[in-house]
Order: sequence, then structure tokens, then C-alpha cells
Amino acid sequence: MVLFIAKFLLHVYSFVFLMFGKDFFVGRYRRLGWEFREATPKQAIRVNFMNVRGFDVVGRLKGLGVELEEIPFLHGGYWVVRSEFSVGATVEYLLGYYSVQEAAAQIPATLFTDLKGKTVLDACAAPGGKTVQMADLMDNTGIIVALDVSRRRLEALANHLERCRVKNTIVYQLDARRVSKLGVRFDRILLDVPCSGNFATDKDWFKRRTLRDVESNARLQRRILAEAAKVLKEDGEIVYATCSLEPEENELNIDWAVRNLGLEAVEIDCYGEEAPTEVFGMKLDDSVRNCRRIWPGETQGFFVAKLIKRR
Amino acid sequence: MKILAKTEAINNFAKRFGAELDLDERFVAKRGNRYFLLNQELRELAETCGNWFYAGTYLGKVKGGEFHPSFPLLFMIAEKAKNKVTVDDKSAWLFVCGRDLFKEGILKIEGSKGKGDYTLVFNRHGECLGCGRIVKDLEKLKGGLAVKNLLDIGDFLRRERRTET
Repeated sequence: MVLFIAKFLLHVYSFVFLMFGKDFFVGRYRRLGWEFREATPKQAIRVNFMNVRGFDVVGRLKGLGVELEEIPFLHGGYWVVRSEFSVGATVEYLLGYYSVQEAAAQIPATLFTDLKGKTVLDACAAPGGKTVQMADLMDNTGIIVALDVSRRRLEALANHLERCRVKNTIVYQLDARRVSKLGVRFDRILLDVPCSGNFATDKDWFKRRTLRDVESNARLQRRILAEAAKVLKEDGEIVYATCSLEPEENELNIDWAVRNLGLEAVEIDCYGEEAPTEVFGMKLDDSVRNCRRIWPGETQGFFVAKLIKRR
Repeated sequence: MKILAKTEAINNFAKRFGAELDLDERFVAKRGNRYFLLNQELRELAETCGNWFYAGTYLGKVKGGEFHPSFPLLFMIAEKAKNKVTVDDKSAWLFVCGRDLFKEGILKIEGSKGKGDYTLVFNRHGECLGCGRIVKDLEKLKGGLAVKNLLDIGDFLRRERRTET
């Protein structure tokens, strides 16, 4: 009852102080240094190199009339400039030669130092785009432990793994907050955590989201981060990613991890701009600047960070 | 984890296409009615943390007493199968959309041509698109329905629609 009343009061509070709506969020983005503009992310594909040895799948797609343009900041990533048909329904797609994967979402898996032969955790894996990408980068060596909580999402993940001929992955229906139950320690951990999303991929985003949702997601993300830190090997790496633009789910969570989990954010070389170290008057740890914030444009909005154990 | 004592269902299925598979039974695991091929590392993990949902290479499942292959298994069989038909582009696309094959679209027949036999279906790039059952003796057949579609890679799209997240 007390919890219910507290939730109700918080709800009322967020409405009274208008902590929702387009103006509220756009104002926050302005304070972070970005002027709002509408964005429609381009469709993108990623070649699964493990399945296309000996032939040019891009050439084959071009032969079918699909106009592709290499994404300058990704290896094997292409914008779909024009296609008379869905690139998610070609024989080449069905044979696992490529995946349809938004460009910014292709970045996190590329940030690990090395993946081949490693024991890797994909903590929030479904529907599996990044799992398949990691398996490709690993050339099907080592092990990926992929988790998700929803049975329906696991079916989608399994379908994706089968289509793309992934051989090195084991999937569990398990909440990422309980991964230590497996008793496995990992060299590499991908935390593509559940998040609030962003307006570029959800036209009703501003109508649906309040600061309360954002804060609730941020709390869940911190719990996942804490559990991941427990199962990370001493010389391991965590890549943390969200498709949220809200600093509570991004810079503030990384700052929290640095201060509370014995982790540090290390430099990454990828598309995006340096993350701010001062957010809404709060001074964050200097290493937060090593994270990358991607504002919506050609891609959707995104945030990535790479964490290691502080030595 | 239950490691299969025998991989009979899988091997018998492969034999329908004239293929002999040499799956190492120590690495074939059964989860419910589904079969998976594991490597050494996955096998060790699957034994320690047994409550997994999917692992390694999915091979197929037994349902209603019948073995239903996965596509990775079909691709394994394709490397060793004798029974194959190669079809033209139009027929290949229709087959992937779930349609049966007509004699007119078949470019090449290898192995069995007999009614009731199983055959893999390839496109002109040599890629396996699925499998079917020969409905009329292909030697004598001049035209019309030739191979009934049993399974095609378009199934991935049908599954995607069912599991859209």
C-alpha cells in the first residue's frame, strides 16, 4: 500500500512538474549540447563473413538491383540506399549471408579488443543481431552465453542463430541480474541493456515516455551492470550500450559504475561524440568522456561505453 | 544433460537423400524433442549448467513420431546427398515462398528420380533451398507438378512473423 501511494505521488509529481513531453526532453537535449531535429535512420545491413567465404554477397545484392553504400565507420556494414523489395526477404538473407541491423547497433560488438576463442556473455541477447555479429567476429570459436528473459524473444533469438549458422552459442532463459547463478566468469560481456529507446525509432516516443520511466530503466541497468561486474574476469571487458538519449541511462550510469563497481571507462575509437562529463549541473568522473554519444541522424540515437576492472 | 545414445532419427532422415552422416554421438544433445550438435566447450558448459534453451548447431526435432530437420542439418546433408534437383530462378523463388516444383523449372536432376523419394532442392548457385518429395516419376514426367515442397528456407520469414518482438 505504501509503495502504491509512493508510486502514485511520483506519478502526480512528474505530471505537475511536466517531466514528460517533447518540450521537456528536447530541452534536456539542448542542455546536453544538441539541437533537436527530426531523424529517420537509414536502413542498414551487415555481412556475415563466416557464411560468405569465397564470394561477393554485396555484388550479388547489387546484381539484384539493391543499391548499397559502404558505411564509413563500420567494416562489413552497408546502408541500403534503394531496393525494390525488402532486403529482409531475399534468398541471400535467408541463407544467413547478411543481417539487417541498424548502423549504430553494429558498433558495440566491434569495441571489444579481441573476441576469438573467448568466453563471452551477451546479457540481454534477443532478438540476437549482436549475438550473431559477435559469433561472426569470433569466427564461431569460443563460447557465447546468450541470455534473455522472455520465451517469445528467445524463439526469435534461436531463429536468428539457426538462420545465420551460429555454432558457438548457448542460450538460457535467465534474467541478466542473476547471471552469477551460472558459475561462469567471462572474458567479454556485452550489456545491450533494456532501455527507454529514442524518438528516431519510435514516433510516439515523446508521448509515451516520462522521466519516471527513464529513472526506472536506469535502476534496472545499474543492477545488470553490478551483476556483470561480479562475473567479469580480472582482465575482462564490458561493453555497455543503450539506444536511449537520456543521461540517466548513459553517462550517469557509467559514472555510478566507475564510483561503485571498481570499473573504469576506457577510450574507444568509434563513430559518435565524446560524452559530456557535466550533466545538468552534476560533475561526473573524467573517464566518462571516453564514452560515445550518438545523436539521431543517419543512425538512431545510441550510447556506448567500454569498461574494464580498475587496476 | 542427456547425451543421445543414438542419432538414429537424424541418420535415417539423411539416408532418405542418399547421404551418410557421421555425427559424433558424444556431442549430440537432446533437449525436450529437439536435437543439437555441440562442440567440446559447449558440451562442458551444457553439462554444468543444464537448463539451457538452445545450444550449438540446431539439428531438428521429433514431432508426431516424425523427424523435422533444421536448415543447418539440411546443409550438412546437402554436402553428401545424392538426391538433388537444381531449379531455375523463378522456380527457386516460388519454392522459397512455399510452392511446389514443376518439371518445367527443373534444370538438373541427380540421384533418384522415382516417385515417393526425397530430394534436396538447389538454386543455380548451388545453394540448398530446402527439400521435397518427388510426386511423379521424373524420368517419364513431361511437365506439371514434380516435387512437393516439404521444407524451404522461407520458413525463417514465417517464423520471424510469428515471433516478432
